[in-house]
Amino acid sequence: MNKTILKTVIAIAVLAGLAVVPRFVESPYALHMMILLFLSVSQGQSWNILGGYAGQHSVGHAAYFGVGAYTTMMLLQAKGIAPWVGVWAGVAIVIVVALVIGSICFRLRGPYFVLASIAVAEIMRLMAINLTTLTNGAEGILVTELPAFKVGERVITDFMTKVPFYYIGLALALITILITLWIQHSKVGYYFQAIREDQDAAHSLGIHIALYKNVGLVISAVLTSLAGAFYGIYVGFVDPPTVLGLDVSVQIMLICIIGGMGTLWGPLLGSLILVPLSEALRSNLFTETLVKVGLVQADSRVGLFLKENLSHAHVLIYGLLVVLVILFMPDGLMGFIKKLMKRWKREAV
Amino acid sequence: MRKHLLALGATLALSPCLMGQKIGVINSMSGPEAPIGENISNGIKLAEQDLKAKGIHIQLVWEDDTGKPQISMSALEKLATRENVVGVVGPYTSACSNAVAKLAEKYRVPLLIPAAAKEEITRQGFKNVFRMNAPADKYASSLIDAAVSLGKPKTIAFIYENTDFGTSTSKTAKAYVATKGLQVVADVSYPKGSADYRSTLAQIKSKNPDLVFMVSYVADAILLMRQSREVGLRPQAFLGAGAGFTTTEFAKEHAISENVISCTQWTDDVNWPGAKAFGQRYKAAYGKNPTYHAACAYASMMIMGETAYHANGDRAKTRDGLKAGKWNGVMGEVKFADYDGFTNQNNHQMLVQQIQKGNYETVLPAAFATKKPVYPFPNWK
Amino acid sequence: MAVFFQSLLSGILIGGVYALIGIGLTLIFGVMRVINFAHGDIMMIGMYLTYILFTFAGIDPFVSVLISFPLMFIFGGLLQKVFINRVLDALAQNQILLTIGLGLIMSNAMMLIFTSDYKILTTSYSSSTIKVGGGVSLSTPLVVSFLITAAITAALYWFLMKTDTGQAIRATAQDREAAQLMGINVKRMSILAFGLGAALAGAAGALISPTYYIFPQVGSVFTLKAFVITVLGGMGSVVGATLGGILIGITESMGAVYISSGWKDVVVFVLFLLVLLFKPAGLMGKSRT
Repeated sequence: MNKTILKTVIAIAVLAGLAVVPRFVESPYALHMMILLFLSVSQGQSWNILGGYAGQHSVGHAAYFGVGAYTTMMLLQAKGIAPWVGVWAGVAIVIVVALVIGSICFRLRGPYFVLASIAVAEIMRLMAINLTTLTNGAEGILVTELPAFKVGERVITDFMTKVPFYYIGLALALITILITLWIQHSKVGYYFQAIREDQDAAHSLGIHIALYKNVGLVISAVLTSLAGAFYGIYVGFVDPPTVLGLDVSVQIMLICIIGGMGTLWGPLLGSLILVPLSEALRSNLFTETLVKVGLVQADSRVGLFLKENLSHAHVLIYGLLVVLVILFMPDGLMGFIKKLMKRWKREAV
Repeated sequence: MRKHLLALGATLALSPCLMGQKIGVINSMSGPEAPIGENISNGIKLAEQDLKAKGIHIQLVWEDDTGKPQISMSALEKLATRENVVGVVGPYTSACSNAVAKLAEKYRVPLLIPAAAKEEITRQGFKNVFRMNAPADKYASSLIDAAVSLGKPKTIAFIYENTDFGTSTSKTAKAYVATKGLQVVADVSYPKGSADYRSTLAQIKSKNPDLVFMVSYVADAILLMRQSREVGLRPQAFLGAGAGFTTTEFAKEHAISENVISCTQWTDDVNWPGAKAFGQRYKAAYGKNPTYHAACAYASMMIMGETAYHANGDRAKTRDGLKAGKWNGVMGEVKFADYDGFTNQNNHQMLVQQIQKGNYETVLPAAFATKKPVYPFPNWK
Repeated sequence: MAVFFQSLLSGILIGGVYALIGIGLTLIFGVMRVINFAHGDIMMIGMYLTYILFTFAGIDPFVSVLISFPLMFIFGGLLQKVFINRVLDALAQNQILLTIGLGLIMSNAMMLIFTSDYKILTTSYSSSTIKVGGGVSLSTPLVVSFLITAAITAALYWFLMKTDTGQAIRATAQDREAAQLMGINVKRMSILAFGLGAALAGAAGALISPTYYIFPQVGSVFTLKAFVITVLGGMGSVVGATLGGILIGITESMGAVYISSGWKDVVVFVLFLLVLLFKPAGLMGKSRT
């Protein structure tokens, strides 16, 4: 009992801290990094519901991300519909899409399910490229100005700074975490985990497999589409490879794999590692730090090589990370930490 | 005494006049467009040297957009808000340039685009966005006009990559051919990276087009021409609109590039001041012939550097300087004007070239031509 | 009519190369039940190997298959021994992620070494054709690669059917435990199978390089195609993968003409889903769990 209260207090404190960050931090760059973090957490937690808890490892979540992003952007550009209205159209569409995809893919198991999920995401990507009147095809949709958000007559924000995006991102990440928390302790969540552990046994116990798989999928898809819509209005540009590509799906999975699937904090941990790592590599932070510390001369062969190439190597390092995690930490960081904690507990006793 | 001198020296050294104005560069330095992006980087580096020789010191801040618009956008934001640059030169691709133009206008940072084709970029009334090169409508008109002047083509087939660049350039061209009374017999947009265009090209061949208008980057350009030869597609002319048809790699493929007509923003044998010398200098420094992108980037950086210097690092003054100025250099006469719905567009003369015996020869307009064009396309050897 | 035959024939020829990639993948899946997401990237490495041999040693791409085949075999065997072997009993998605990770390492390492520049191999016969009459012409390098593919496939089939090792591999594919009980060293069979699969992918890369272009990310397109082919033909069936490859080649080629260049890939994926749903064992495969 005490532990739960302690955890809740810490969580509220962290939340309060995050909520006031924009008052003290002015740098748009720092806010940008936090927004990327929130986005990553939202994506990871959403996938985790279907993949981690229900055990259905979809490698095609880009389909839902893309539907959310495209619907919002299309309505904004073509009809001037504000994103906070348009996003619900995206949700409605993604529910239909998810149910269709579920009806196709859930008949399959294991590797075949994975392949089917990839195929549907690819089909959606190709549709986005070819249905040019609807989606502007490969050119993508570019909208850099958002309508002001008004309550009655008062303008809450005109989206000129990053601050409103920070709060939206925070809210989204929080929602996904809360829903995951609910799932973890609810009957629905237990059914998911039963399906994950042994689908046939669960079926023989009377659990309606198809229903619960689809429930998991719909929840996961809706949350992912919200993340997609958020991405669209934040970045201002969407095109088929960016929001519907296979690497988006892989990226989302990576967050959970590295952090630990089927756990509450896994995607959060995964995001905390991947987002700063990716940015540090891309912006040459490593090289600059090495130079500053004096380990490498800026003009030396090594220095120049690192400067030129390390930023392009961030995907390479992702790959290495994946391989290392799968080989040595297949339950992700959370799994690793739990193992450590068990060992400490044992030693303490 | 020494301490004071050192302090004075340090302060002077830190003053922007000696440090140089900060100018941002956004370019595709890695990713699929990197081979052409390299020309832009090198052109800018040569400009940096020349500016220094003139006593104008600039500090370049390089950003790699890897050819993706959203990365280009965040690069511009970083340059505008974190690095506080005076102005930005770049990016390269049409998609990136269009995305970045909107942001440059939002942040009021002068942006000089060296080589992006998409017309729309300078048709949005943006006061802060300037473009050096002639846009896609000129690609279309210079090629079509050339064909129409050399023969009597009646039908035309379009084949282009389904990216922003391919789609927008061919859209403009299709509108133009309608005004010239040419009939479009085929309109194919292909996904980049296909291994096999043969069936599509066979289909185009069956429609017997007088002209084939292609928009591609390098690798597809080569494949398209190879496979055109295989299926025996033989129009009156192959019109290559787009970077892929103007590179050395393409010209080197003698069997398939001979007699392909393409349009370009620059060649080294045009009598613009310093053009030939630039070509030779580039080759000496980097071991290969420059594409037109190098010249565009060079001229853009020279202009941006000088203007920023004279404006003393003020963004608004730089923008005014770009609008008011007039230059004459390796790209010929440059003036950013408002005309025909364009804002801050340099009304640049495009050149039509043809590969003859493995070399790019300027064939039109007649004032700049070095060789006579070969028309119609002779039989495949 | 010429367009029809041109499409059909071009499709068959390029289908041959696709078949080779598919066969490699189906072998790996058949023996190890591992979905190798790095298969296309292995092919990419084969392409770069061909490029190096051509550019620095002047060896013709088709001849270089003799060199790249054994080298890629060793590479595949090493990959299996060091990495894949450890996850043979792990969850399917872990296997998939491992191979995805390996693929990312391969493609990005090549990008660092060779840059993303597209490399084009131009041989003396790169653009030459064989005229078949009726306005149809075939690309000479594609014809040669088709013939070599046929030869490799025939040799592979003979190896699997008539040699002891080949039969041991097939036994392992059929029932791993029973094979082990029969005294077959299944670990070694896995290494052999992966090595063979990699060698075939590398050979496919060598064969397609005179008619395509080489860049680090070229693998991903072929990986997806390979999966469609193996599912279509039946996971584990060499004949199935051969037929599947040619079928996909024809679908793409005809699809580009009769539907549209943009939609042809959708057709392939829809076909893939239909097979997965209605005949998951594929054309030639036997039902397996």
